[in-house]
Amino acid sequence: MQIHRYEKLWFGVSLLLIVGFIATITYGAVGAGIQMVGDEGGTVDPGEIGDYEIRDGTTFSDIQEPQATHVEGDSYEVAVSSQQFIFNPGTSEPIQVPENSEVTIYTSSPDVIHGIKLPGTNVNTMVIPGEMTKITVEFDEPAEYGIVCNEFCGAGHETMAGNLEVVPEDEWEGDA
Amino acid sequence: MGLFVDEHPDEAFIVRAALMSSFIALLVGGLMGTIQALHRTGFVQVIDNSTYYTVLTLHGVSLVILFAIFFLVGFFQWAITDSLGRGAVDPRLTKAWYGLMTLGSLMAGIAILGGFTDITSMSADVLFTFYAPLEAHPLFYAGLAVFIVGTWLAGVDWFRSWWLWRKANPGERTPLRTFMVLTTMLMWYLATTGVAIAVIFFLLPWSLGLVDSVNALLTRTLFWFFGHPVVYFWLMPVYMMWYVILPKLAGGRLFSDPLARIVFVLFLVLSVPTGIHHQYLDPGIAEGFKFLAMSNTMFLLLPSLLTAFTVVASIEHGARQRGGTGYFRWLTALPWNKPAFTGMALAGLMFAAAGFSGMVNAGMNLNYLVHNTMWVVGHFHLTVGTAVALTFMAVTYWFLPEITGNSVFSERLGLVQVVTWFVGMVLMANAMHRVGLGGEPRRTADPFYEGVTFDTALGSIGELHLQIALGGLLLTVSLLLFMAHVFLTWFDVASRPAPKPETLPPALSGPEHAPAVLGNLRLWTGIAIALIVLTYTLPIAAIVSGNGLFGNAGVLAWGVETLVSLTAGVVG
Amino acid sequence: MSSGTESDVSPDVWDGEIEREIGHDEYDPVGTLGLIAIYFVIIALLWVFMYFVEFLGRGPTVV
Repeated sequence: MQIHRYEKLWFGVSLLLIVGFIATITYGAVGAGIQMVGDEGGTVDPGEIGDYEIRDGTTFSDIQEPQATHVEGDSYEVAVSSQQFIFNPGTSEPIQVPENSEVTIYTSSPDVIHGIKLPGTNVNTMVIPGEMTKITVEFDEPAEYGIVCNEFCGAGHETMAGNLEVVPEDEWEGDA
Repeated sequence: MGLFVDEHPDEAFIVRAALMSSFIALLVGGLMGTIQALHRTGFVQVIDNSTYYTVLTLHGVSLVILFAIFFLVGFFQWAITDSLGRGAVDPRLTKAWYGLMTLGSLMAGIAILGGFTDITSMSADVLFTFYAPLEAHPLFYAGLAVFIVGTWLAGVDWFRSWWLWRKANPGERTPLRTFMVLTTMLMWYLATTGVAIAVIFFLLPWSLGLVDSVNALLTRTLFWFFGHPVVYFWLMPVYMMWYVILPKLAGGRLFSDPLARIVFVLFLVLSVPTGIHHQYLDPGIAEGFKFLAMSNTMFLLLPSLLTAFTVVASIEHGARQRGGTGYFRWLTALPWNKPAFTGMALAGLMFAAAGFSGMVNAGMNLNYLVHNTMWVVGHFHLTVGTAVALTFMAVTYWFLPEITGNSVFSERLGLVQVVTWFVGMVLMANAMHRVGLGGEPRRTADPFYEGVTFDTALGSIGELHLQIALGGLLLTVSLLLFMAHVFLTWFDVASRPAPKPETLPPALSGPEHAPAVLGNLRLWTGIAIALIVLTYTLPIAAIVSGNGLFGNAGVLAWGVETLVSLTAGVVG
Repeated sequence: MSSGTESDVSPDVWDGEIEREIGHDEYDPVGTLGLIAIYFVIIALLWVFMYFVEFLGRGPTVV
């Protein structure tokens, strides 16, 4: 089969481009340490999200507070119910985490599929009834972020929003 | 040889019927888009926010299911008939598949329209992706199923024509257009398996009350099993037009027939095992499966990158045959005054840009930046909204005379129409990408949230929203121009002199240079199936063992979980 | 309408709009090579920008 030499060249360059993309993404995963949302959260009964066991002695509703709960060192955790059409916590009062913390966020939905995005950041994930989303986020500087639902969840979807505050150390009122 | 309508009048009738359905859907879906562009930017709001989602559902389903697929089946019917030189084996089958597609469209369409009125509680405000547990009326799911079965029968119809041709022409290489239709349909059969299972075994019974619940992640995964390759169902006909017709319009010949066949084989093999790249941020699917989907997707760039070269080389050939010279000056020798050429060339140019936003979308962790933002909306308006829609509109200027026997009403009007579409889309899609980078979400009636700001790099949100609205208005003007032109040509309002029959020149490098294995459809389909099994078995098994087939961990879930751990024990 | 595989093509195919015919062996798509090289450079640069500036350069990220 005759392939023109220019096209053979382009074929090789295209493969290089593709491999380059895969390599960049691998660097992001392995070098920059970015993890994809996975199945580590396991499953949950949508009717009983509050009873989901985080670990021995701690359930979802135990850490479903606006102020993130301290685990150890710089690690904190918070549970959020994403539901039609609020984030609980997050909507009626902002979620608060301290600066320089690693926060594990647990979220699921008792009704339909939702999304959570903090505009201006790379915090973005899906919330699917039956599955527990578990992500860990590094929050460095104090800041105020919005939270929006970015997956259509019914009439009222456009109102589903909240806030997350990264609080300076000296203003942090939770346990540390 | 004469015009297609004279050579094959019965098939031309079906093609015209398909195109008529397609254009009606385009008008409905397009006007919905106008409403959306003005509503969510805040400029003109004639509906309330909850109705927006009905509008959005109608927009998506009308355009990407009805407009695109009716158009391509009409085009494929022409391609098969003309390249094999024979009519349908049994015209009743042809009418049957067209009838089923129409019936399915009406069923789903009525369900969606029910959302606009309180006269009935029937509605389907579930958007084009219909993710459970959002629920639509059973008529919606049933309509989709009937429509898809119609497309399956279309494939059967065309395979039959090919089998009969092969018997009469043993040892001859399958004509290129037929090869493209058959590989596309094989890919379609594989792709629709996922959504057919989701709709027929889960969503339809659930909406009828026969089962209590569905496994939301399972049905979502089955949708995306289909949801990615469906874009290739739209793109492969576009590539056929760019490979087979565009070179002729440019004054040249297709650079390489064998390369075109390779590209179509690559799509058959690689299109389906990529769907999980729409689920990079889903819980319940392990990172390893997402990485695999990412690599498959990155390699799926290859046939499109090869197409870029082959198509541009074919256009350059035409430009040089027309007398063009120089490194780049030959671009000016092309027939830019012809809407069919210019529309397709602009669509191709836009696709090159769209390819980039697609590369970003495919980038696994990079997806955190853009998932479910307006960036994605910008991306698919460049791809299906321009590469596909503008090519289909442009090719109509060439195609309509062949199937109606009437000359186009006005080349100049056509040129204005395609250029307006391009300009409108550049304005709108560019702004969509940029508000998306600022974090503005998609699929929302009103992206103004109290206490939330979207920071955009260049231009304020207000400016960008204005560009979206203006772009949308330009697209509306272009849409209406297209509709007017189709009407004026179809009904020969100006009584122009009859058109000349079109001939397609042979490729520069013909099929006789292609290795025979390329034509072994069974081999390529087998490899495609193997890749699908490798990519999807484990993640789907995990999803089912997690929450059961129907969303409550029951006996079936236990059974699958046991099977999975046994297998892991044996393999690991 | 036809699309055969004959090597000599009647110029009528192009409705008299071409000046000369160029066969397979006489044709080198140099313009295409140039255009696609430019495209490659743009894509590569934009990718690096998107990944390292827009993405990695953005604040809180899932780790």
